[in-house]
Amino acid sequence: MSINNIRNFCIIAHIDHGKSTLADRLLEYTHTLTKREQKEQVLDAMDLERERGITIKAHFIRMDYKHTNGKDYIFNLIDTPGHVDFSYEVSRSLAAAEGALLLVDAAQGVEAQTISNLYHAVENDLVIIPIINKIDLPSAQVEVVKHQIMELIGCDESEIILTSAKTGLGTEEVVDAIINRIPPPAGKKDQPLQALIFDSSFDNYRGVVALIRVYEGSIAVGDKIRFFATKESFEVEEVGTLRLKRVKRNTLHTGEVGYLICGAKEVRDIRVGDTVTHLKQGAERPLPGYRAVKPMVYSGIYPVNNQDFEDLRTALEKLVLNDSALQYEPETSTALGFGFRVGFLGLLHMEIVQERLEREFDQNIIVTTPNVVYQVHMTDGNILTIENPTKMPESVRINKIEEPYIKAQIVTPPEYIGNVMKISNERRGILKNTSYIDPSRADIEYEFPLSEVIFDFFDKLKSVSRGYASLDYEFAGYREAKLVKLDILINGEPLDALSTIVHKDRAYDQGRTLCTKLRKLIPRQMFEVVIQASIGHKVIARESVQALRKNVLAKCYGGDVTRKRKLLEKQKEGKKRMKQVGRVEIPQEAFLAVLAAD
Amino acid sequence: MRDPLAGIYVHIPFCVKKCGYCDFYSITRLDSIDEFVNALVSEIQLTAPAYASQRFDTIYVGGGTPSLLNISQLQTIWHCIHKHFNIQSEGEFTIEANPGTLDFVKSSFLRNLGFNRLSLGAQSFHQSDLSFLERIHSVEDIIKNFEASRKAGFENINIDLMTAFPHLSKDRFRDSLEQVITLQPEHISCYTLILEPNTKFYRRFQKGEFSPLNSDQEADYYEMTIEILDGAGYFAYEISNFTREKRWQCRHNMKYWNHVPYIGFGPSAHSFQSPCRWRNVQTLAAYVKNLNQGKLPVAQRENLSSQTLEFEYIFLHLRLRNGLNKLDYQQHFEKDFWNTYQERLQPFFSSGLMEQEGDFVRLSKRGWLLADEIVSSF
Repeated sequence: MSINNIRNFCIIAHIDHGKSTLADRLLEYTHTLTKREQKEQVLDAMDLERERGITIKAHFIRMDYKHTNGKDYIFNLIDTPGHVDFSYEVSRSLAAAEGALLLVDAAQGVEAQTISNLYHAVENDLVIIPIINKIDLPSAQVEVVKHQIMELIGCDESEIILTSAKTGLGTEEVVDAIINRIPPPAGKKDQPLQALIFDSSFDNYRGVVALIRVYEGSIAVGDKIRFFATKESFEVEEVGTLRLKRVKRNTLHTGEVGYLICGAKEVRDIRVGDTVTHLKQGAERPLPGYRAVKPMVYSGIYPVNNQDFEDLRTALEKLVLNDSALQYEPETSTALGFGFRVGFLGLLHMEIVQERLEREFDQNIIVTTPNVVYQVHMTDGNILTIENPTKMPESVRINKIEEPYIKAQIVTPPEYIGNVMKISNERRGILKNTSYIDPSRADIEYEFPLSEVIFDFFDKLKSVSRGYASLDYEFAGYREAKLVKLDILINGEPLDALSTIVHKDRAYDQGRTLCTKLRKLIPRQMFEVVIQASIGHKVIARESVQALRKNVLAKCYGGDVTRKRKLLEKQKEGKKRMKQVGRVEIPQEAFLAVLAAD
Repeated sequence: MRDPLAGIYVHIPFCVKKCGYCDFYSITRLDSIDEFVNALVSEIQLTAPAYASQRFDTIYVGGGTPSLLNISQLQTIWHCIHKHFNIQSEGEFTIEANPGTLDFVKSSFLRNLGFNRLSLGAQSFHQSDLSFLERIHSVEDIIKNFEASRKAGFENINIDLMTAFPHLSKDRFRDSLEQVITLQPEHISCYTLILEPNTKFYRRFQKGEFSPLNSDQEADYYEMTIEILDGAGYFAYEISNFTREKRWQCRHNMKYWNHVPYIGFGPSAHSFQSPCRWRNVQTLAAYVKNLNQGKLPVAQRENLSSQTLEFEYIFLHLRLRNGLNKLDYQQHFEKDFWNTYQERLQPFFSSGLMEQEGDFVRLSKRGWLLADEIVSSF
């Protein structure tokens, strides 16, 4: 088939704006799936994705379509992850396409995430096809949303397609627009191979399966290939394209999208964003845009029961095969025992990993307070990268600490601007710009320390705006900040799992809050328990749990020793589930409750 | 080791009225007493052959309200036990009585039958407390019954008091203790109220009619009890049990704490003969039915593992003022107590919750109040 009949495109949409439903309609319209294969939202493969209505991993599917004009077309729909944590994966997926369907909910209008992904698409020179979806909703404001879109991308009203992906209304127009507006891939057959890896996953039998877009040349079974970034070389075992299952082919040609299996056993061997070429007579340069993905957020993950440590290790080993962005290494905590320090792309990524560990791998875990990565400039001129608050050096040896900042884009109806600004100021936000997409949509730009938004900023934002405000952000570099390490001591012993790095101005409040919380959660023991918050050697907050005076049942029930014994055995069991810090027994729930956001 | 002297417990499951806090099995259908006594006789007859070589030196008739039984019913029980078991003449033979159910004649009868220890369920010396606890007797009943029993020849009398219940005041409790002391019983048991599920009190508590005392308030009452009784010459030989002289310690109850065998008769009665514990069926109906069919009314039997036996041995002995004898422990479990537990117990010794005297390891007075906390570290 001619390269001119290939269309590679993706769909940009906010969560719940109907991306997966539209994908379903396209698959149906092009007869890609038989009725039996039709399942709601086929592209969201993981249970978790389906449940949350978001895409975590990139997917793609090929559609072969015979148009009424008699020509055969190949549509490659590349589905992108739908969250800011995965913006790098999004940008790579976008790079594999020539066009993007910009899908906006007729009732919700344009949201922050739509805008940021749209910018990525524009940066990648994608042709944008604006679509207003859910026009059959009673609350649809088609005219308002039309104006938002026209304002945003400067298009003509006539370019906007109205659909209801649910009923299938407008699908034909979308298909025509894909054919007529999105250009076919450029690239030449006779050039050295350049193919972009835009996602990878792990198959238990075949090893790493990379999703690639061939830009120049072609790739065939048996070819010797190499990867630019990892400098690894392999032999192509299998290439092909994807329906719902893999469909083998001998060759992937210029402009095509497909999968590649080459015997790589670890996802680290094949990195998203890297370029594949031939070992001999390969391309001189990789495709632009590759960068190594670095975790932005770290936290400790510990088994609830210490003896489950090896199980947790196995689970992480398996999980990382499917999630190359995940990083982990073992660490120990005096309070929680053996566990792992795990690096994530962002908070959602962290939540997803946590849920996958619990659900797919049946792990019972404690996740410690997440923290960002700090750059610590030492007095001796060294710069340390600190991923764990307990590793923070003593303050006398520190010259300055830098923390990561983000540029945040918040889109909100104007009536909530005041609320949004209030919570933003509380989190050390710096207002950079306010503009209006239309009279009902303000676009506010803020800069925040990342540490301030990883907690619960998103939830707060939603609650102060009745769910209307939306948020997107990108990394904006490191900046100096007055940060201190806040320790929690129990009878003088540091509770390392609760150490945090906080802004100096916030330390007192946070110290007090943590101490008060712990006082309520630590059961009375046979001696007084003193809870302190300290910065260095300076105690800034103190609470105490009075010694327990009485725990004895007066009576032995007329010879019924069994009953008494069972009560004691129950107490014993309860004690076993406590974590021992020095002599103090702290229930698991206390850690969980303290680590949970307010 | 010499075969220890065992104990016999008889549960009399009848009361005129059930008190709201009590969760021992008892019923108020007094017309089934004869049926019960017949069944009890059968149970004793059926059980006895297995204990042909066992000697017994305590009998404890509890309940319920044993003093509700008439003279001939009590005679039947007494003689049946003596006929079928080897009972030592120098034994301790206790019967529980509720104030108001005794008079000089009945006390004299009990004493003459052979009971030599009387346990009187006084609970309080204030009418308002007695009403709260749903007791049917008066303060006057206690004093009258006590004095009648003394006159009848009971030289070993226990008085039960209840403490740390909602409604109680420190002043009234102090006064109750002082009134008990005035009577000069040989033995005093003083129990903290425990809210048991399936009691009327528990339902009242759930409805919010009152709330139980917190552990600090209970500790206050307990410390007050120790202080006042100690001042009057009564020492605690067990967490809730006080006596003026060692010889008046309740020999029967000591068997529970010393892991000595005892057999219980009657509905819901418990028995122990190492390594086995068993209990009888709960209700009178099931009890009678089993015995009518010639079957022992055992509901549940449990063979304790050596680990469980050891845990019981430890937590029961630590309830005693004397504590646990390391030599005796070694004989039972063939290991050294100190070597086994030293490390775990060190914090309790250093913080003064446990102490050592000679071959005994015991809880200090402060440690006693935390006994359950401490023994859950074993």
